[in-house]
Formats: sequence, C-alpha cells, structure tokens
Amino acid sequence: MSKTLTVEGDVNAANTKTNLTTQGSVAAPSRVTPADAKRITSVIVAAAADQLAEGAANILIRLGGNAIRRGEQTIICAGLAANTVVSGSDLPPVYNPLFMVMDADIEVDPSEVIDISAEVVGDDLGDATAVVTLIFD
Amino acid sequence: MPKLYRSREGEITAIDTKTQLTTLGSQTAPGPLLVPNQAKMLLGVFVAAVGNHSAINDANFFIRLEGPGLIEGPEVIAAGAEATQVATGGAAGKKAEFIPLNIKIQVSQEILIFGEMGGEDIGAAQFGVTLVFEV
Repeated sequence: MSKTLTVEGDVNAANTKTNLTTQGSVAAPSRVTPADAKRITSVIVAAAADQLAEGAANILIRLGGNAIRRGEQTIICAGLAANTVVSGSDLPPVYNPLFMVMDADIEVDPSEVIDISAEVVGDDLGDATAVVTLIFD
Repeated sequence: MPKLYRSREGEITAIDTKTQLTTLGSQTAPGPLLVPNQAKMLLGVFVAAVGNHSAINDANFFIRLEGPGLIEGPEVIAAGAEATQVATGGAAGKKAEFIPLNIKIQVSQEILIFGEMGGEDIGAAQFGVTLVFEV
C-alpha cells in the first residue's frame, strides 16, 4: 500500500480554511490513511501566490479529520510578501523553497479519512496554490 | 516520540513594538494557547516572518515566548532580517525555519507568543509561529 498521500488545490481567499481535495488530473484522490499506518513521519508543503496584491502573509496548513489521533495539528509553513509593481515594469518569478518536516511524528489511525487544508493568513496576496504530501509509517 | 503542533500568527505594524500573535487565519479568536495535557517538552518552534517592504529600510525580526506555561521564564529568539532598496515592486517567499529549544513546560498553562521588529521601519511584517510539543 502506498506510503504517501498528496493533495493540492487553489487557495484564493485570505484567512479562509480551504480543504485540499484534488490531485491535478485526479479530481478526488483517496484521503484515507494506509491500513497499517501509525504515524505521519514527514510533511512536505509547497505553496506560491501570484502576489498581485500588496502585503505579507503566512502559509498555514491544518491536518485534521478522524485519522488524526490527538486532534487538529496546525503548522506554519512559509512567509510570502509582495509590493505592488509599478506599471510597465517587470519582476522575475518567485521560486519558493519546499517546506519539509522530516520527523513530524504525528499519530494517526489507519484506514481513516484525513483532512488537509491550507490558508493564506495575513494579507490577501491574490491567488495562491498549495500542494501537500504526507508520508506514513 | 509523538508530537503536537500548535500555531498562532499576526501582523506587526510598528517598529520596536511587542505585538502578541493571537489569531490563526480563519480563526480570529482561537483563544489562549495552552500547553497540551500530554506534553512533556517544548521541542522547538517553526517561525516564518516576512515584511511587506512598503518602506525603504532594514529590519530584524524576533519572537518572544512568555507566560506561565514556561517553567524557566521567557525566551527571546531571532527570526530573520530583511531590507529593501525600492518600495515600488518586489515579491519574495521563504519557508518557515525550525529552531530547536528543548524547553521545560507546565501543562495546561498558557504560552504567549509575541512578534517584534527591531532596526528600522520597513512597513508591516507578518509573523507565523508553530510550537512543537513532545508528548
């Protein structure tokens, strides 16, 4: 059975809990923990915003649902910021680093649904996207 | 060694001003951050602090951990530094960094988290902090 679970989605409203339920070409991937899973060993997050609005924000993920044995866990993953671009000027793209918690040790129950959500917290930076991978043991 | 993750965030809008982080995005009033009942130790913190650079200056960031949940008293921890040359266009992203601490805690008691900017005023900054507890 797969050890990884990956979901992604758009996060287009600031300070709004947004469940990640898709996986690109797979519209509704399984969010059930593996049958032998005892814990999440690693959490990997990548997020980016088009930063068409000026401000500063954090990326927050929430891990919840029946699978998380000790209740919802919240993890701050990144900081993003933008200045409004002067008309007619250009900016290079922003390459955000991958955020990884390699010894997460979050207890889970096997064969239960896990809810993964993302939020842009702070200022609204425009549209954002996030992808989250959980690795189980 | 299972772990628990508890977070708060907030905006710091003034230089040299201690500002408590009390919100969590869609949760505008999550209440006090209490040390979980099962927790044995505060292993460390994830911190992501980023300025909006609306003013041309340079600033440093740090967080303060206070409250009765910390048996050995308050802690102050560096969280980054940023500067800008122009305030008319720019974008940046950085990941949260883990800072190991291994601090003794008092279960069921509150830990207060503050963000602060030192140096010069670069506009506003967004701070996010996650406390990682060992259970």
